[in-house]
Amino acid sequence: MTEEPALGVDFESEDFFSREHEESLPLRIRRLVNSQPFAVLCTHGNQHPYGSVVAFSMTEDLAVAVFATPVTTRKFQLLSQSDRVALLIDNRCQHLDDMMHVEAVTATGKAIRVEEGKDHEYWMRLLTTRHEYLSGFVQSPTVALFCIEIARYFHVVRFQEVRQWTPKNKPG
Amino acid sequence: MDSQKQTWIISLGDTSGLDVKIVGGKAASLTKMIAIGIRVPPGFCLTVSAYRQFLATSNLSDVIQMELGKKSLSKMRWEEIWDAALRIRSAFLRAPVPLELVKAIDEALIHLNSQHPLAVRSSGLGEDSINRSFAGLHESIINVQGKKSVLRAIQTVWASLWSDAALLYRRELSLDPLQSGMAIVVQEMVPVQNSGVAFSRDPRNQSLDREIVEAVPGPCSNLVDGLLDPDRWILKHSSGEVIEWHAGERNTTQVNMPLLNEHDLRLLHAKLGQVEELFGWPPDIEWAEQGGELSILQARSITSGLPDPHADERRWYLTLRPKFAQLRQLAKKVSERLIPKLERLGKQLAGEDIESQDDRRLADCINTRLATLKYWREVYKKEFIPLAHGVRFLGAYYNDRLQPADPYEFLFILAGVDFLATHRNVALQKLAQQVQHNCSLRKKLTESVITCHAISMTSWNNFKIEIASIQGGSEFLADFEQFLVTFMDIAYNGERLAGQPSSLLYLICQLATRPNTEPATRKKNGKAKAQMLEQRLIKAAGKQREQEAKEVIAIGRLSWRLRDDDNILLGRIESQYLRALLLGAERLRAAGRLTGKPPVEKSAALIAQTLRDSTLDPVHLDEHNPEPIQGHSNTLDKPRQLIGQPASPGLAEGPARVVNGVKDFLNFQRGEILVCESIQPTMTQLVPLASAIVERRGGMLIHGAIIARELGIPCVNGISNATSVICDGDYLTVDGHLGIVTFGFPDFELEDHVFSANMVK
Repeated sequence: MTEEPALGVDFESEDFFSREHEESLPLRIRRLVNSQPFAVLCTHGNQHPYGSVVAFSMTEDLAVAVFATPVTTRKFQLLSQSDRVALLIDNRCQHLDDMMHVEAVTATGKAIRVEEGKDHEYWMRLLTTRHEYLSGFVQSPTVALFCIEIARYFHVVRFQEVRQWTPKNKPG
Repeated sequence: MDSQKQTWIISLGDTSGLDVKIVGGKAASLTKMIAIGIRVPPGFCLTVSAYRQFLATSNLSDVIQMELGKKSLSKMRWEEIWDAALRIRSAFLRAPVPLELVKAIDEALIHLNSQHPLAVRSSGLGEDSINRSFAGLHESIINVQGKKSVLRAIQTVWASLWSDAALLYRRELSLDPLQSGMAIVVQEMVPVQNSGVAFSRDPRNQSLDREIVEAVPGPCSNLVDGLLDPDRWILKHSSGEVIEWHAGERNTTQVNMPLLNEHDLRLLHAKLGQVEELFGWPPDIEWAEQGGELSILQARSITSGLPDPHADERRWYLTLRPKFAQLRQLAKKVSERLIPKLERLGKQLAGEDIESQDDRRLADCINTRLATLKYWREVYKKEFIPLAHGVRFLGAYYNDRLQPADPYEFLFILAGVDFLATHRNVALQKLAQQVQHNCSLRKKLTESVITCHAISMTSWNNFKIEIASIQGGSEFLADFEQFLVTFMDIAYNGERLAGQPSSLLYLICQLATRPNTEPATRKKNGKAKAQMLEQRLIKAAGKQREQEAKEVIAIGRLSWRLRDDDNILLGRIESQYLRALLLGAERLRAAGRLTGKPPVEKSAALIAQTLRDSTLDPVHLDEHNPEPIQGHSNTLDKPRQLIGQPASPGLAEGPARVVNGVKDFLNFQRGEILVCESIQPTMTQLVPLASAIVERRGGMLIHGAIIARELGIPCVNGISNATSVICDGDYLTVDGHLGIVTFGFPDFELEDHVFSANMVK
């Protein structure tokens, strides 16, 4: 049985190929997601695409990701226009000289702003457990907290080998 | 686990404690001395591994990286570095020490004499090496009693690895959040009759055959902190023979009796030789003596090779961190002598009838006033700026005792402090109300200041006649002129504000467009909160330190107030010097002996000389070209967001107005975002009109931040390129919660334009 890291805490980096044949796709996705503290958030609005790096955290079942952004940003404005987003998580910085070792997931989903209230505290904690240095940032009144309900993961290895996985607790 | 604990704690004298990389310079030196039989107070070393364990179980590396990564340290001003250090210190004090480490420290404490208080000192890596000494950069805490206090002292000393002083010397100390470390020495403080320092060479000239010994009664902190004047001996290094003795000034009956006798001095001379032989370099030692027994508290290399204090501003900065006893003395001197003297001087200069003086006397007056101004600028640097540390002292004192989540909570204690600038702003509001409630007056003033932007002093008298003819106009004029005399006899950026009534009238017209919106309840609530936090601090200090806590608060408040007032009072001296200089220039101009631009400080001597000697050639003053301020005209490389320090919370947007001089006061519109080098107390009257402040200079305790928080408007400071990349009219959003300034709106016009252009092709 594979030991699972504590949620949102470890930014571990493991060799993918050594485990390739042992692990299920969800475990591989989890491993990758846990190894990367940052993701590229893809947004769009009024026919314009945009990408931004965000610090994120995931629920244990990988069904929901959480991130925060100041309300004065372009990505916030686009999120207000369209809730459909994608999140790219990859380990390319660890394999700059070897494309075949690069592993990536693209999670597609719907971004929902978490309003102040009971759930807000939960999502905020999920994010700051992994990114403790963001504690002050997320509490600022000019910062909005977003959850992404993930519909599907596209997992890519070996340049073009793509598989997809749907989290069990897929919303809807 | 046991072996791990071993590496966390090493007894002083244990041979495993000789590795500087594990125990730091101080502990290694002490262990070496113990090994050859030199008496050193018992204690233990908390190794670098313990520090790293503390960091590994907390998020402190992240905190350090966040604090120091936002901006290049070389671009940070002292105030910003102090702020970063305060936040790091606060995080260190709030982070829990791992339980295993606490247990290991508790076990080590059992072996020390519980009757003796402890000294908890830094033992940094390379701190006291042969080539460099960083004495005073890191913290040492003495008279520590009880396990809890020891733990707190250890956390404080660890935090001092990132103190403001240490950050200034970061390159020399190789400070790296991931690589650096600090060991700590915990030592018994043995009872002491006399103590002091001794140098095996004269630090000023090591080639001389001289040793220096200094002694004070009681603990060595009396000497190191400058609390007592030491007895001082100069000995021959070769023989130990006494060459000179100077008695220290003390209020005791034994004022003329030397603290050390011949035997003591021989012993110290021998110890210096022993230590020098051991280390191979001439040492500087701290020693303590009780009943004829001599102990060495620490030994390090003499540091005469340090940079010239005048050549290195960082050394000057280190003098801005006086200890409490020094602060107390300084507060007394500044508040009881210097400030009243400066205030009297300002009034006296204003009262002098220089207009009726002949040219020769006016020339003397210009020179004297300039010399006076320069003298007070020095006093400002040497006495007033160090006193400003009183607020910072209060901050550290408050945070050490209460560990608040917000490291700036202590600032609430300062609410309601009575600044000169506050009096001025209240009086200004009253003038604005007079205008607001008088339609004809408002109309006349608005027309005048808009149509005639700058009213010269010659046309001022005609203007006054016009105003006086309006109902209520005479009363307004009387109040206005009184205001000019009382509050505006100050200088801003080398210009007299009293000589520019139109800029003030313009400001009053702007203020009159809307009533003062500052709710009285906020002031009341502020005072109530100040009282509550004050009580909380006094309670946390404990019964024994109640008086000390009250004094720290009082000095904090005093330094807070004086730090603002001293600028205004100094601005008055400058204004009075400018009054004489401008008068001299006016006379020369009228006589056809001066052409060109208005005089500046550099041309004061020339103006005075020309006034005095009528045979001299006429003077032509060239334009002093200030460095042109580069706007950001390049649309291909335009900033979108600037990051600074969140100095006052809130969110506001509006057009930018860059203020570089008095002329910009006239352009300032209510609701604009005030962008400047730094808000000075001599220009805070402008702030109520602004919807937000953006400053180049950074810090939570600088004037702009203070007044912004008082008025409840957002402020972001410490944006080093603010005045160069922001242009008048740039639409900005200022996020005072996060310290972000955003240009324009998040639009996609450019993309639309580019793609529609392609479509046409």
